[in-house]
Amino acid sequence: MKTSQINQAHYLLPDNLTKKLFLDTLKSSFSLKQVENTTENFSVLDNFEWRLYQKKLMAIRHKDQSISLWNESDLFDDELALKIGDITSQSKFWWDFPDSPAKKTLKPILNLRALHPVYNGVLKIEEFNLQNENGKTLVFCQLISICDTERPRIPIMRQIRISSVTGYIKEYNLADKLLLGLNAFEPTLPPLDSLLGAIGVSPQIYTVKPELNIPANMPARAAVSSIISTMIEKQRLTEHGIIKDIDTEFLHHYRVAIRMVRAAIAQLKEVFPPQDITVLKQRFGNLAKETNYLRDIDVFILDKARYMNFLPESMRNDLLPMFDDFEKNRQTEAKRISRWIGSRVYRKEIEELQLLFSNGYSAVETAWSEKPTIELAVNKIQKTYKKIYKAALKINNSTPDDEIHDIRIDCKKLRYLLYFFGSEFKKKKLKIVLNHLKSLQDKLGIFNDLTVQGEFLKNYLIQLEHKPKKDIMLIASLGGLISTLYTMQIQERDKCIKELAVFSNDDNQQLFSNTFIVSSRGLPKAHKRAKK
Amino acid sequence: MKIIASYSIKGGVGKTAASVNLAYASAKAGNETLLIDLDPQGASSFYFRIGASKKESRSYFFTKKNRLLKNIRGSNYKRLDILPANLSFRNFDIMLSSMNKSKKRLKEILSSLEDEYDLIILDCPPNINLLSENVFNAADMVLVPVIPTTLSERTYEQLLNFFQNNNYKKKIIHPFFSMAQSKNKLHHQTITDMEQRYPVFMKSIISFSPEIERMGIHREPVLAYASKKNHVQAYRTLFNEIVNVLAKDK
Repeated sequence: MKTSQINQAHYLLPDNLTKKLFLDTLKSSFSLKQVENTTENFSVLDNFEWRLYQKKLMAIRHKDQSISLWNESDLFDDELALKIGDITSQSKFWWDFPDSPAKKTLKPILNLRALHPVYNGVLKIEEFNLQNENGKTLVFCQLISICDTERPRIPIMRQIRISSVTGYIKEYNLADKLLLGLNAFEPTLPPLDSLLGAIGVSPQIYTVKPELNIPANMPARAAVSSIISTMIEKQRLTEHGIIKDIDTEFLHHYRVAIRMVRAAIAQLKEVFPPQDITVLKQRFGNLAKETNYLRDIDVFILDKARYMNFLPESMRNDLLPMFDDFEKNRQTEAKRISRWIGSRVYRKEIEELQLLFSNGYSAVETAWSEKPTIELAVNKIQKTYKKIYKAALKINNSTPDDEIHDIRIDCKKLRYLLYFFGSEFKKKKLKIVLNHLKSLQDKLGIFNDLTVQGEFLKNYLIQLEHKPKKDIMLIASLGGLISTLYTMQIQERDKCIKELAVFSNDDNQQLFSNTFIVSSRGLPKAHKRAKK
Repeated sequence: MKIIASYSIKGGVGKTAASVNLAYASAKAGNETLLIDLDPQGASSFYFRIGASKKESRSYFFTKKNRLLKNIRGSNYKRLDILPANLSFRNFDIMLSSMNKSKKRLKEILSSLEDEYDLIILDCPPNINLLSENVFNAADMVLVPVIPTTLSERTYEQLLNFFQNNNYKKKIIHPFFSMAQSKNKLHHQTITDMEQRYPVFMKSIISFSPEIERMGIHREPVLAYASKKNHVQAYRTLFNEIVNVLAKDK
């Protein structure tokens, strides 16, 4: 019955309760009919950012490599699982899965991330029907046990679920009473947290975007050190995934984190002695440069389907040799980067850099190093915005592309400044500013990507010249692709120019000067007192 | 929600075996299913190990939805509920004749279960009376098991005539061959003849099988204990065929 109140209870069984006592207690009032009994090695899956967990979903990979996906309220209910079959142990991205409701659910959650094991263990599922002497089922009962792979007989978690059968509520209540008599207890946490807690897995939510809460009156150098230190930590969290080549997002986030470190060093350079700046820029620059090529190919391969669609259907397959080349190059390059990040030389370098900032950068005082952070923040944000709107005012249809790219870079700098110091300003206004900025950056980003991709293809085309055997159709399709990208680039340029006009209009100028100010109201109490 | 009646004027033709197994197949396919045992003998209820309710209540069946719901029992299988038979069901005709709209009472009460079930299967007693007419008014499909013998053929024709004479829609009648014996020449001939004369016959044929006979010993649908046997799987194919027919009728 759909709307009948099917009663259901979930309990955890106490560690000291023996299976025999558990079964004997139920047998005192019911006949037990076991209808299912399976034991298998399994893995709990999630992506690096724990996005499934955040969506209150759980996926497990079975021994036969198939995947079951549940809402946390239906955990281990075989009938309610969304299933993915016909896959191998290598199938880890949504696009590796056959079309199914599970794939549809996972696509927006996983995005470019891989599903990878976050726990390996042994899963035992037993289903008993509690029956009367006529063999009529009165209560459904499911016992889930999870054991460590190394000690597959000793459960580290046992969860029992009983569900009522329509018309037999008294019997359900009796079973419930029997379980409570055995000290079965209700988990205090939501089902997924309770399960992960019991098997000793604690989700570490990861996002590359820093959530810094820097006090407005913190000395500027200490604040910048803390920003850089946070970003290096984020960068380092991605290393493992790059070494194992789990998915392309690890490298992407690695690069974003370094970019923010470099932005902090370059933009907030006044807090460091000038001679240190040159060295720091170079050391972090080297780390970023090393990964440029791999990221370029990653972006290309990820967009394969889009590129193919730019061409007439009959020419699409002609592009395949290029993608085969890219795949081969990627493999070689990914191995190289994996070795590099795993190397002692790299570790020594990154650990040294990390150490420089982890307890506050120590060097001689500079004009800005001890000033309150808010003053540095306001100065930099205002200057960067002014630079953008002044440049934007000069933009017209004949402005060279390079100038638009420069504005894009300044916008990125501004965005990072807002990430670093956003907590020091009024939330509502900041949100409006960020929305404007995001809209502009999206358009500039597309424009830039098209330019970079066009260049990348041109370079590939030039390389083809040196090949002994010329594949005319590949060359032709590349030509087609480059010209399509160029047409799109022109269209995007127009959109950028329009968006820039909005971004630099009087209202926005006003918004910026109102939002980013050093007012006594904007400062925390301690600072106000100090000023007095 | 759809309502299927497993119905025949004649007894012992496999109505209950069909009801029980189709209900099981339906629940397994994910439908919230209710099997109503209208036959006071209570064979369907017996197969699901559910005893008749002790109190012999009278008219709740056609009047009080809540009391009807209270008498529903879950089976040993998820999504499959049973409304067990009750000896008072033998008085349905007397009860109905004293009510107004006496031919549409069943339809009314069943339509009140719309939110609860995807499919209701009525296991009907072998009769043609006021209760049967209620069934004809309520059902989206009247599924008629026909043993391929001359006598069954005759009863089937009687049913068609009854529908014709009483203005019921003949298109809801869907006969299928039941308890057919492949080695029996007469069965073979009757099937060929009747299929020609009545193209409306379902393609699935339920054969006579000792496995099905043993349902009384197992006290569960044959699909639950011998699902791999060919003869038994015919119930599942019959169910799939029914689903297709119901979808087309939409």
